[in-house]
Amino acid sequence: MDASQASETPDMTMFLASAIHDMKNSLSVLTGFMEDSLGDAALREQPIYKKMAPMFYEVKRLNDNLLELLTIYKVDRKFYPFDLAEHAVDDLMAEIEQQSGTLLNTQNVNLELDVQEGLYWYFDRDLVLGVISHALNNASRYTRGSLRLAAAEVGGFLELRVEDNGGGYPKAMIEEGVAVNRGVSFNTGSTGLGLYFSAMVAKMHKNQGRAGEILLENGGKLGGGCFVLRLP
Amino acid sequence: MFIDGDHAIFSSKRFLVVDDFQGMRTMFREMLKSCGAKEIDVATNGKEAIALLEVNKYDVVLCDYNLGAGKNGQQVMEEAKVRNLIGLATAWIVVSAEKTTEMVLGAMEYMPDDYIIKPFTEAIIRSRLLAAISRKELLHDVEKAIYEKDYASAITLCDEKLKSGIGHAGDLIRMKAGLLITAGRRKQAKELVEKVLAQRDVPWAKVDLAKVHYLEGELDLARDLLLQVTEVNRTYMGAYDLLAKIFEEKGDLEEAQSVLVCSIDLSPNSATRQKALGDIAQKLGDLDLAEKAFRKTIALTEHSVLKVPSAYIGLAKICTEKNNPSEAMRVLGEVQKTFDCTQSTIHAKVIEGTLYRKNRDMKAAQQIAKEVVGLVKGAASALPAGVALEAAEFIMGNGDAATAAELLKAVVLNNHENEVVLEQVRAVFKRADMEEDGEELVTASLREVVDCNNQAVHLAQAGKLEEAVAMLRDARKMMPGNKRILLNLSYALILLMQRNGSRELAMDREVRDYLEQVRKLDPSNEQCGKYRNALDAIPIARAAA
Repeated sequence: MDASQASETPDMTMFLASAIHDMKNSLSVLTGFMEDSLGDAALREQPIYKKMAPMFYEVKRLNDNLLELLTIYKVDRKFYPFDLAEHAVDDLMAEIEQQSGTLLNTQNVNLELDVQEGLYWYFDRDLVLGVISHALNNASRYTRGSLRLAAAEVGGFLELRVEDNGGGYPKAMIEEGVAVNRGVSFNTGSTGLGLYFSAMVAKMHKNQGRAGEILLENGGKLGGGCFVLRLP
Repeated sequence: MFIDGDHAIFSSKRFLVVDDFQGMRTMFREMLKSCGAKEIDVATNGKEAIALLEVNKYDVVLCDYNLGAGKNGQQVMEEAKVRNLIGLATAWIVVSAEKTTEMVLGAMEYMPDDYIIKPFTEAIIRSRLLAAISRKELLHDVEKAIYEKDYASAITLCDEKLKSGIGHAGDLIRMKAGLLITAGRRKQAKELVEKVLAQRDVPWAKVDLAKVHYLEGELDLARDLLLQVTEVNRTYMGAYDLLAKIFEEKGDLEEAQSVLVCSIDLSPNSATRQKALGDIAQKLGDLDLAEKAFRKTIALTEHSVLKVPSAYIGLAKICTEKNNPSEAMRVLGEVQKTFDCTQSTIHAKVIEGTLYRKNRDMKAAQQIAKEVVGLVKGAASALPAGVALEAAEFIMGNGDAATAAELLKAVVLNNHENEVVLEQVRAVFKRADMEEDGEELVTASLREVVDCNNQAVHLAQAGKLEEAVAMLRDARKMMPGNKRILLNLSYALILLMQRNGSRELAMDREVRDYLEQVRKLDPSNEQCGKYRNALDAIPIARAAA
């Protein structure tokens, strides 16, 4: 390639930024339309409803992945505006519940909320929202109808738990959950994007020498898989 | 689906939606309607938004960040705030495809009440708007007190709210810490943030602690804390601004410049930081970097109400130094086209004249000098020292020593306790081979200020407070930037109100304005806080029936 051609290499950062802006607008309209339609009682009786419900899950996943890619890119380039502020934990949980409402309704999944009262904590709202709603989205696929979202202070950490009553995580996955906190990535076939993102968010939260972490467990109150985010 | 109470809140409010994308506007409208909103206006760009804000009062503004050509969402909000188009009760929510540093970590006074990242659901819109509305309502009286510069009341209100446990404790503590610093109660501020920091590492608390150290003159302590913040929270922008200022005050301009370069990498769209970088780079003689920074400042503020002539002036000076007179002239022309303000016109003309003189076009320089002399008549006392010194130097060079002396006298009167400025005044005379005249002017002007102050103090001590006030008010007209006069005038007014036994509203406002001016001139001034406390202790006069 000669020099004149090289100088015409497009500025990928700029393209990326403007493409993401456009895609987000499109996704907003798309999810807005789907939520609206899925919430329409008349549509519930139509055969198309059964086909649309899984599509909503796919759109959510698309959205989560886009958000995670963009955030990882920004954190990696060191310009993600990390906004550590105090938030009411029950507000966050209520927001997550509302945000996931349509998805869980269409899949006939029951979500139980268990939040310690009057709890305030410091975290980046957008990041934690991203991690937990991804975990819920994920759990909605593996659960057998029940999910539990719990928040409590445990040993100086804010512990957020997403539990399901499904078959639980395979052993390799649980090991990967341990490893990803240390920055090691096992190759288990999945892209690992969600897990990597969650661990990154956990580690970004630091307080007085301690950092956040994620855990994958089996058991919990519902006896299935548990995704745990612990923030100092 | 919705709760009736929320529905009632939405139906009683007036909304403005600003978005350049038709699909989004429709969606917002539908969502707001289904939340219960009845009054919803929409605008497709910044210009339309401002036009609507000029005629209507909105309770909630939902504004997209990216509005295509023209103003962006941030600039629309800045203009609305600066021009008082929105009240203290208006909740401003930014909607954006991505979180930017300006949005969440920018300057406090120009921060939105909340932001919503796309995509979002109706549920998110509803809960965020409700939260913003209730937060606005909760903090309304605090913000009103701050707006009226009544910091003591604002602090008391924060305390009451914290005690009553109605939530938002984090916000209230942060607000209180900021208020304690502004009100000059540094010891209390320090205790409060140290208490917060004992619990956890919170960047704002560390920056506030650094501010206290800075105001106490403990620059090294402040610097170390700020370095800790930027190490852990690289994007916490507030830390960089103070850090650069500290390095500059310590005389380490290179380090100040590198701090600003680093902060601009993180937040390239901050005009104030670009301008600060331009100033430092200019001082360091890094003309290319300074030119780039000034040009960026001008570009960023093209559609903004926050644009300042000093970036144009800086750029014109750089062009002059780089021997590019035609570009310098073009930029100076921009100043006069863009800003309708005597001070910047004078400054631009001085640089233009200096440029002519440098190119030995004495006739043109003479013509400009005449214009400048005309402009400074009656305006000398209101000019900032920097502009007045440059103007005096230029006029002196054109042989009008009398007008130059008038300007320099105003500089001395306004800055009689500032040795650096006094030395600069002497230097202007020295370069014109008028060292003795300079010394004489400085001495005489200093005596004038001191005499005036002494007389006022005597009058006050003799109980002739009205006369002292009248005298100091006259003095302030002659030297509006003189800290000592402002402080003494404030004190005389406070004594007067104490004697009357009541705090009359107009006088109360007057004193608060003077004290605010002093605080801006000299943030670490001890007396401001003391006078403010004395003022607050006087009972408020009952309004006439």
